Amino acid sequence: MEQSVLHRTLRDIAAVLVVAIFMFPLFWWALTSIKPMYAIFNKDHVVVFDFVPTLINYAVVLLGWSRAEIAIESGSTFGVGGTSSYDSRQTILDSIIVSVGSTALTMVVAVLAAYALSRMTFRTRTGFLNWVLGQRFMPPIAIIVPLVLMYKAAGMRDTDNLFMGYVGLILIYALMNLPIAVLLMKSFFDDVPKDVDEAAMIDGATRWQTFRRIVLPMVRGGIAAAAVLCFIFAWTEFLLSLFLTTIIRTVPVKITTFVTSTGSEWGFISALGTAAVIPGFIFILLVQRHLVRGLTLGSLKE
Amino acid sequence: MTAAVYDAPAPGRAWLPRWFTSEHPLPWLLPATALMVVFGIYPALYAIWLSLHKRNPVLRKDVWNPSANWLKALADERVWNALYNTFLYTGLALVIQLSLGLAIALLLDTDRRGYGLLRALMTLPLVVPPAVTAMMFLLMLDGSFGVLSRSLYALGLLSPQYPILATSSTALGGVLLADIWQWTPFMVLIMLAGLRSLPKEPFEAAAIDGASATQAFFRLTLPMMSKVIAIAVLIRGIDLFRIFDYVKVMTDSGPGTATETLTSYAGRIYFNGDFPYASTISVITLAVVIIVSTIFMKAFRVRL
Repeated sequence: MEQSVLHRTLRDIAAVLVVAIFMFPLFWWALTSIKPMYAIFNKDHVVVFDFVPTLINYAVVLLGWSRAEIAIESGSTFGVGGTSSYDSRQTILDSIIVSVGSTALTMVVAVLAAYALSRMTFRTRTGFLNWVLGQRFMPPIAIIVPLVLMYKAAGMRDTDNLFMGYVGLILIYALMNLPIAVLLMKSFFDDVPKDVDEAAMIDGATRWQTFRRIVLPMVRGGIAAAAVLCFIFAWTEFLLSLFLTTIIRTVPVKITTFVTSTGSEWGFISALGTAAVIPGFIFILLVQRHLVRGLTLGSLKE
Repeated sequence: MTAAVYDAPAPGRAWLPRWFTSEHPLPWLLPATALMVVFGIYPALYAIWLSLHKRNPVLRKDVWNPSANWLKALADERVWNALYNTFLYTGLALVIQLSLGLAIALLLDTDRRGYGLLRALMTLPLVVPPAVTAMMFLLMLDGSFGVLSRSLYALGLLSPQYPILATSSTALGGVLLADIWQWTPFMVLIMLAGLRSLPKEPFEAAAIDGASATQAFFRLTLPMMSKVIAIAVLIRGIDLFRIFDYVKVMTDSGPGTATETLTSYAGRIYFNGDFPYASTISVITLAVVIIVSTIFMKAFRVRL
């Protein structure tokens, strides 16, 4: 279609403006993280660029700096008190362990199931697929109370044992991500022609050999995409980790504890918050191509 | 797969029962089944079982009393308030996110240079942890120094006497802002995929026949996109219905019960220690999700 220069320019301006509006909260968040306190809590005017940038907020949440160190560094003792509760190194480590562990478990379980659902015919196939889909639709709140009781009984909640805490969260995140991983992997397996399997099996390969040596290598891209999505969902999850563990504080839960009755430590909150979104940003840009398929459980392809 | 292939004995493993070899679906599905039974089906049944008990706060024991919680829930105004808030929130968010998403998708759907970058940037909000999004908007909507609040004051849309999140009539709107920011990109992405999959010919024919862009949109684009829209609405709707993170972090159901949803109400009861009643509200949430999504899928013939 022919479009006038004016029309095109207007469209460009509108497009950039819309995207800028959506980027603004992220920009403001990152900006807040390098602001000193007086700039964040200024009630006279909104401080945009008229401040001296500082990395103190990052030093506290990522390096575990104490108030004394801040005071020496900045010459200010504003809001003197303990900062140890803002040290988020353990939190970040916990989040990484839980997210990576649950992603690995989800992918192993999901890839096996997805292969069978894509390649074999059996009476309960449709029923099984509906069950998986239903699992995706089930609100976590529906099972949270029994899970708390189960976790207590199994020693995965209200325990000092960090390992049991990890196991508990890894298992429940694996369940949470299982439906999307199964349905997504099934759609990737469906893209591989069945002739491939048949040819291998006619040559005497077992199902397992066909899967392991022939089909699995062909869906590597799909596995990477599904794994990235599982990682992101585990990394960002809030409700389950809030209820199901007392010893582990994942990043989203930890960050909400910075809001206290005496005021919110916005500098620390935004520093940890900014650090927490960076892995997601990198990963999402890597799987742009499969994002729609992932978000629609494999039902729409781009 | 044909029966002949998987009825054949597994080469070299003939001593194993067939249902235990890789030729049979069972071993492939067993780990997933175990996970879904132990952490999905069993807790769901357990929740129903719990809801049939009544909490005795003095003895700190749950006593079998099948009707107590269900009658209590029916008469509980907060349940109806939470149900209303949940539906209102879901409905408003769906309408706004879908229309914004479609509009932005139409705007960004071009092969011109630079638009690829804009489309990639649009996906970024999706990966921000919702709890962090809630904090971002809490900061921007702060009554005294929040940049968004102050802009709204300056525009005369809000008054400093009524901070958006601390006022009953506007608090849900404040929470909605965070949801819209985070999830409109979801709609944009799916609508873009839908637009890209449309065939070119009908639009060329319409242009030759002198149809305007508006006519083409309503007569061609929308009807051809209906399946994609239905899928997007279904997935988004189900996630909206279980909204928890934004409400918990931004308003904690308040002020009063102005932003209390089914999920956050269940959470509140849980933290008060009444596990059976919390389970009852959870089961109600699950039932509503099943009923509404089934009706939707039947009415619009959606299959995922």
